[in-house]
Amino acid sequence: MVQISLPQNSKVNKGKYFEDKTGSKNIRKVNVYRWDPSTEENPRIDTYEVDMDNCPSKVLDILNKIKNEIDPTLAYRRSCAHGVCGSCAMNMGGKNGLACTKPHAEIDGDIDIYPLPHLKVKKDLIGDLDGLYKQYESIEPWLKNNSSKETTEIFQSKEDRAKLDGAYECIMCACCSTSCPSYWWNGDKYLGPAVLLQAYRWIVDSRDDERKARLKKVADELKLYRCHTILNCTSACPKGLNPAKAIAEIKKMLATANV
Amino acid sequence: MIFMENKKPLSPHIQIYRWHISSLVSISHRITGIINIISICFICLWSSLLILGESNYNTINFFLSSIFGKFITLGIVWSFSFQILSEIRHLIMDMGYGFELQTTKFTGLLVIFGSFILTVAIYLIGKFFLI
Repeated sequence: MVQISLPQNSKVNKGKYFEDKTGSKNIRKVNVYRWDPSTEENPRIDTYEVDMDNCPSKVLDILNKIKNEIDPTLAYRRSCAHGVCGSCAMNMGGKNGLACTKPHAEIDGDIDIYPLPHLKVKKDLIGDLDGLYKQYESIEPWLKNNSSKETTEIFQSKEDRAKLDGAYECIMCACCSTSCPSYWWNGDKYLGPAVLLQAYRWIVDSRDDERKARLKKVADELKLYRCHTILNCTSACPKGLNPAKAIAEIKKMLATANV
Repeated sequence: MIFMENKKPLSPHIQIYRWHISSLVSISHRITGIINIISICFICLWSSLLILGESNYNTINFFLSSIFGKFITLGIVWSFSFQILSEIRHLIMDMGYGFELQTTKFTGLLVIFGSFILTVAIYLIGKFFLI
């Protein structure tokens, strides 16, 4: 259901203000969404003044600096810091992306940092992605081959392998799914761009024998056709992939093939 | 535990997400669709009133000739223009073309500016060729 306003317990209040203590001339204000599960309070926006002279180039560097030097209570997910693991996906400057690959120079004015949109917040910038992982499981993202010879290699031509380009690189960071308004309103039923891109990845895999069954499974008014090509997903993807195109390809396959 | 689950706040979504050309065109496509349905109903109603006599026609004609009425008419023409162009964009996308970010931006702008150009064109055609 479309619910434009936030529930009462999710309304965001103004939080604390952390003034700069380094005396630096090059200061940027960073507004960070905070919510502490141990209190009864609503979420709040804390503002930090960060010394940019001693801060590397990415948004994650700012967060690390805040956590290490200003406020150690800040919670966020991060791991590889090289855009490979997808842990530090969050909303920066109004757009989803990976904090470790997003240069803060690309954001004008104050830097606003929120968790991924329309998720249940666990703490601060950490959103609950359980629903998305369950949906990912539902498309059965593994090779299904009926071949009886389990010991021999399944050959794939270079052309067939090329079909997986642009789909296999996905790191499941959830930037695309949580940027999608359709997924916000129907996230319980609509699979969302991330999962549909993976569904596509298995549908076009020449080694997989369950192509038709897979297509049948996603051919659903809510699971697939809630995509209205808003293209927030493609513009959000930090790996430069195109989930919207993959979804269109699935729709095209369903429209043209006898399934 | 259930109490804890319910307590979790929902992270901000449409309040904070930045708009871009494609999302603007998409939401406008929906809004103009609704406007079009309503205006088609009114046009049908207007034409059916003809059955009941000339005076009904005159009343509505009087309204549409006023400044406000003309504004409404132009608004409907724009809404139809936007819907048609945006629908063509969607048809091309359904065929699997035009998904590159730069292309979507370009076609989105084409729809936005095109809708105004088409509105003016329809207005001029109506003014100089149909009366």
